[in-house]
Amino acid sequence: MLDKNAIGRASPPTLNEVEKGAIRRFAEAIGDYNPIYYDEEYARASGYPTIIAPPTFPASFHSAADLRELLGVGIKSLLHAEQGFDYERPIFAGDRIYVSTRVSDVFERPGISGRMDIAVIEDEGRDEEGNLVFRARRTLVVRAAKETP
Amino acid sequence: MPARKLYFEAIRVGDELPALAKAPIDRVQLSRYAGASGDYNPVHVDEVYAKSVGMPSVYAPGMLVMGMLGQLISDWARGGQMRRYNVRFIKMVWPGDTVVCKGRVSDRHGTGGRYFVEIDLWAENQRGELVMKGSSQIQLFYSLEDENRQRSGQSPIVVEVPRESLATATASAATGQAAPEEGEEGDERRAGASSKKTAPREKPAAKTATLPTAKKAKK
Repeated sequence: MLDKNAIGRASPPTLNEVEKGAIRRFAEAIGDYNPIYYDEEYARASGYPTIIAPPTFPASFHSAADLRELLGVGIKSLLHAEQGFDYERPIFAGDRIYVSTRVSDVFERPGISGRMDIAVIEDEGRDEEGNLVFRARRTLVVRAAKETP
Repeated sequence: MPARKLYFEAIRVGDELPALAKAPIDRVQLSRYAGASGDYNPVHVDEVYAKSVGMPSVYAPGMLVMGMLGQLISDWARGGQMRRYNVRFIKMVWPGDTVVCKGRVSDRHGTGGRYFVEIDLWAENQRGELVMKGSSQIQLFYSLEDENRQRSGQSPIVVEVPRESLATATASAATGQAAPEEGEEGDERRAGASSKKTAPREKPAAKTATLPTAKKAKK
């Protein structure tokens, strides 16, 4: 059973600078050639100030979070069960976004092969003025290592 | 010139998004995604490691498949703003697998000059097996006229559009047009937090009738 005290534990905000090249490589890796991710002029003609990032781009952001520290256990394996995003606005090339990570829930759930430990990890991205840009939630099935970290 | 935009007035509940068949996934793509995302988990890029932990080979990160399903939405909803995007990973995707992304409009509603469509989404492999399932909310302009008004600083066109899910729940259940059943691996892989921890869905209780697979997990 994961430690309920982990709920609310958070990492400090980490700056992520959104670079055009990073957006391009991310979209290419998905095989998504929508010009909105590559072509400045096209993006402006579409009503945006500059190129935007694909919806799952926040998956590439760094945060200072160390899951072992946040959850307080050694981790044998993680299974990504669910993912969700809420967006306040698109993410633009040139954005400077501060990403922090917190444990939003831990609980136990019966599974086919015995009980499973579930952790819900929430990332929050804010711009330099502190305005919310996105929230991301990962639901992870955690197999803790036998020994303590 | 940008592609033609999608407007709220043209969308109906039950509309299907044009299916998106992606190229077969190969190990080069897995490497590229690892580099682009910064996720170098060796189960996705290191064949020797993957086998050492009992996998038949490396496999695709769920987030790559979520990105593909995201492409389906963005290709369809040109001019729209994605507000919410949630998925559940159901089945693993392997090198050589072809992911086909599909979606259907499950609801539309508008109030105070803001217009939204709700989409049910799913991805299948080349055997027609469900590998991922999800939903998204997109905000759109009501019409070209509405967009032009707002872009020139005028007030939006206001049309009150109540949610249609209540009306369609019965019909879709009757015709079997609801989202597909989840695969057998679903139960084990599903973590069951969504009913509690995802963003406010703002959905009436009747919405669950169109999603027979959305079982509520017990805590």
